[in-house]
Formats: sequence, C-alpha cells, structure tokens
Amino acid sequence: MVSAEFKKHFTILAILTIALALVPFILGFNQYYILLAATSLIFAVFVVAWNIIGGYAGQLDLAPIAYVGIGGIVAAQLLKYYGITPWIGMFIGAGASMLLAAAIGYPTFRFGIKEVWYALLTASLVVILNNIAHLPQFLGSLDHYLPAKTGWYYLIFTDYQNLYYVILAVLIATIVINLKISNSKTGYYLRAIREDELAAEALGIDVRKYKLKALMTYAGIMGFTGYLYIVLQGTYSYHTFDSPTSLTIAIMGIIGGLGSVAGAFTSAIFLKTVEEYLRSTIGATIPGLYLLIYGILLIVVGIFKPEGIAALFNWAKKKIGFDRRGG
Amino acid sequence: MSDAILQVRNVVKRFGGIIAVNNISFDVREGEILGLIGPNGAGKTTLFNCITGIYTPEEGKVYFMGEDITGLPPHKIALKGIARTWQKTRPFKKMTVLEAVTVGVLLRTSNVDKAMREAEEILKFIGFPEEKINALGKDITLMDHKMVDLARAIATKPKLLLLDEVAAGLRPHEMDRLAGILRKINSEKRITMIVVEHVMRFVMGLSERIVVMHEGQKIAEGRPEEIANNPKVIEAYLGTKPV
Ligand SMILES: Nc1ncnc2c1ncn2[C@@H]1O[C@H](COP(=O)(O)OP(=O)(O)OP(=O)(O)O)[C@@H](O)[C@H]1O
Ligand SMILES: [Mg+2]
Repeated sequence: MVSAEFKKHFTILAILTIALALVPFILGFNQYYILLAATSLIFAVFVVAWNIIGGYAGQLDLAPIAYVGIGGIVAAQLLKYYGITPWIGMFIGAGASMLLAAAIGYPTFRFGIKEVWYALLTASLVVILNNIAHLPQFLGSLDHYLPAKTGWYYLIFTDYQNLYYVILAVLIATIVINLKISNSKTGYYLRAIREDELAAEALGIDVRKYKLKALMTYAGIMGFTGYLYIVLQGTYSYHTFDSPTSLTIAIMGIIGGLGSVAGAFTSAIFLKTVEEYLRSTIGATIPGLYLLIYGILLIVVGIFKPEGIAALFNWAKKKIGFDRRGG
Repeated sequence: MSDAILQVRNVVKRFGGIIAVNNISFDVREGEILGLIGPNGAGKTTLFNCITGIYTPEEGKVYFMGEDITGLPPHKIALKGIARTWQKTRPFKKMTVLEAVTVGVLLRTSNVDKAMREAEEILKFIGFPEEKINALGKDITLMDHKMVDLARAIATKPKLLLLDEVAAGLRPHEMDRLAGILRKINSEKRITMIVVEHVMRFVMGLSERIVVMHEGQKIAEGRPEEIANNPKVIEAYLGTKPV
C-alpha cells in the first residue's frame, strides 16, 4: 500500500523533473527567458520549503527572506574574501540560517508566541536584519558584487542554463524532503500541532521541539539556496532583506494551500511567472503593485477556497479516482 | 498505597479570587473505573487539567505510579501513561479520522504504516463506523468526534484515562453502547479510568467508586449506592438541576 504511494510520488516527481529539465530547450536557450524560469524555480524552492513551517506546522512565518539572506550573504562573503567555493559556503550558509532560526525559535516557542504575534515578530526580523546589514560595519549602503569569475567552482556562469539546472536539483531535493517529512511521524506531529496545540501536547507531542525542528529545517533549506538567489540577483546588499519579497513567499504558500507540496509548487511557479511576465511587458516596477495583486488573490482564496490551489488537485484526484485512501 | 495508580494530595488551583480546586485528595486504584461527579463549576475539569499538566497546581502533589508528576508538562505526562478526552472538543479538523488516531499511536512508535494499521484496529475496537474513517475532522458530527477523541486517547496506550463528559449529548441507547465500550477498554486493554459525567444513570452504572466535588472541595467518596443516599451530596445538588 505504501510502496504504491511511494511509486506514485516517484513517477510524478520523475515526470516533473524531466519536464522542467526540458524548459531551457523549449525556450530555445534564450538567456533572458531562462533567467525568468530560474527565478520562478528558485521561488518554488522557497515556497515548498516554507510549506514545512507554514503549511505543516501552521506557523505564519514571514521571515523567509531573512534566512535566504543570511545564508546567501555568508556564502557570498566566504567566496569573496576567503575564496571558499559555494559548494562548501552554501552548507555554512545553511548552518548560519539554522543558528538564526534556533535563536529566534527557541525563545519564541518557549513563551508560546503564536499566530498573529509570531507573524509580526518574524516580519520585524526581516526589517531588523535589513537595518543591521545597512550599518557600515556590515554591508553598508553599497551594492556588493560576486567575484568576476565563472565556472563550476564559483557556481557563476556566462549562461543561465547551468544555474537553472543547479536550482532544479535543489528544488527536487526540497520536494523530496517535504514528502519525506509529510509521510513521517514528524509530519503527523506537525499537522497535529497546526490543528490544535493543546490536544497535540496531551497526545504526548513535544510541541516546542517539533516546531523548532520544522523552523530549522525550513531555515536550513532557505539558507542553502540563498547563494543561488544572490547569483540570480547579480548583487547583494542590505536590500537583500526585502520585506515585500519575504511576504510574497508566505502569500504564495497560503495561496498554494497549507500543507500541500503540489499546491506550493504550482502557486510559486504560476504566480512568479505571471509576475515576471507582467513586469517585462507592462514594465511596471512598483513592487507594491504586485503585493497588492497578491493581497487581492489572498482575499479571493480566503473567501472562496481556503484550501488554496491544493483544493484543485484534490478535486482532480477524486475525479480520476486517484484518491489516496479511497480504495 | 501500593494498589493506587494515581494519588492526588491536597491539590489547590485558583483563578483570581475563585478557588476552583480546593485541597483535593483521593486515590485511584489500579484497574478501577472511578466516577467523578459534581454540579457545574465544581472544579472537575480544572482537576483534570492539574493532573494532566495543563495547569500546575499551586499547592499539593500528584503521584502517578508512585512518582511525583506535579508540574511536568502535558507531553511528558502523556508519555508516562495518562491520556484524556476533552469536554469542549478539540478536533484535528483538516486531518482524517484515521490520521488523528494515528497521531496518538505514534507516541509509542515511529513507524507510520504500523501506526496507521493500529489506528484502524482501535477505531474498529470502539465500533467507529468504518466508512467514516477517511472523513476529515471538520466533516464529522460532534458525536463522531467524541469517539475519535476517545480513540485518539487510547491510541497513546495509557495506563490511566481521564474522560471529561464523553457521554454528554448522547441519546440513552447510545449511552448504553458507550458504557459497554468503556467497560471493554477497561477490561481488555487494562486501562484505569476516571469518568466525569453529569448523567447519573451513566456514572452510577459504570463506576465502582465515586468521588463527589462541590465548589472545589471533595464532599463525599464511596460506592455508588452510598453516594446516592449521602445527605451532603443531595444537598449539593439541591437548587441545581437534578439529573
Ligand atoms: N481558565 C479559567 N479561568 C478562570 N476561571 C476558570 C477557568 N477555568 C475554570 N474556571 C472556574 O473554575 C471553576 C471550576 O470550573 P471547572 O470547569 O473546573 O468546573 P467543572 O466541574 O468542570 O464544571 P462543568 O460541569 O460545568 O464542566 C468555575 O467557577 C469556573 O468558572
Ligand atoms: Mg468540566
């Protein structure tokens, strides 16, 4: 029964990987479009990783870009000043983000800060990091550039397709981690915590421990991917800690449907692609405008379909008679 | 002392000016079904919360199998072997019935497949309708949920189970069926129980002994027939709705 489940996931994942791997070919290796595709893909990584804390554990974390930024900047600085390859730097960056997550999560969960208070606290973390990074002792007001070198050692390339494939690999790994968590004891425990903390605790769940585990896993993936995000952006600075971007990731996660990997993935790819497309065609560069559009989408989802895009998948599954435990 | 699985000693819990639990002491013997009754606001739920670690008593001690568990967090107490159900239900709305019960089983194993099969057996054991085990928590009735709550609790393999008004709202024939299920859990799974219930016919028939609380204090303890004729108990229930 479970191996069938696994096979099904494996098949879908294999098809998805092949389809995404073909995208650069379909785009005729047009560098501009591949850059856009890579951007959509990296947001899919962020949203799928966010699903661990936001979807499974149900904590409205608004600080994704804090963890992306810390991990990415650590790896970038290590490369720039010590010549350390991002192959190592990205792991150190992930570690730095996990440490930050532990420093935030431990007291937060210890004192039972949740819901709107947790959201506000994490939102302000991004603002605080932005201000700290702005200090002259840290990044100052300037834009920082990665070394003007190319090659696999630096993960900086003259063409975007290599980077695209690296991000694709990270995305697939992130999806696998998500599915593993979802079908494990941790996944069940996180969902129980999301549904009712007190009832979960009375069933023997160490709520604090599991929330922290979810937060650190998510932060680790964000931190690991941070360097790739900086490579895509071209530069890094205190602007990397961008609140609208951070909010966007959480909103995409909610629109996708809390706790649904497929929903998170689809939501990120679809919304980011539309956003980038609109940006390039209409040329609107008001970042607030996208946030407004997302806000409206969020309200629409909230009113009509609280399960988000995931509801569409469930509906389709039922139609095809593919429901998990229907048979 | 040796046959007491739970010992409550001089437990006090206040809310502002109200003394919700006032110097309560009693024993629960291994294997028995103990009834805990008292008019509304007597402090029964608060006492359950003191035993399960939701509240830390301000005074007094709780011993479970001879060990002091006062002030331990709820998840540690659950691990030691005390489970409970909730008067005000706490469903896992976006999880299926089967998943909710699986969460309970996972306390003693990490194998999800095994846990799920065991959860299925537990639901069968308490007679939960098989066609509803894949329904989401938000789609089942309150009565169904009370059964899920019970299944979730026994899934943690407790030695002691605290039931806070599981029978409330049930029709008489459903109540008889539930009493049968509880007896079966008690004898076959060897789970000791404290049953809080307002419906006298139900507790009186189910319990070997009964503890009566009134305004935070214990006013009587004894066999059901003794309790039914105890003047203090009758007085406590006078003026409140006799059930
Ligand atoms: N969290 C709380 N804050 C303040 N007062 C409380 C709280 N919980 C209970 N009380 C008060 O403590 C007293 C005991 O309440 P409790 O719920 O324990 O009674 P009960 O015996 O379970 O009643 P019922 O039969 O109605 O469920 C009541 O006066 C109640 O108002
Ligand atoms: Mg009560």
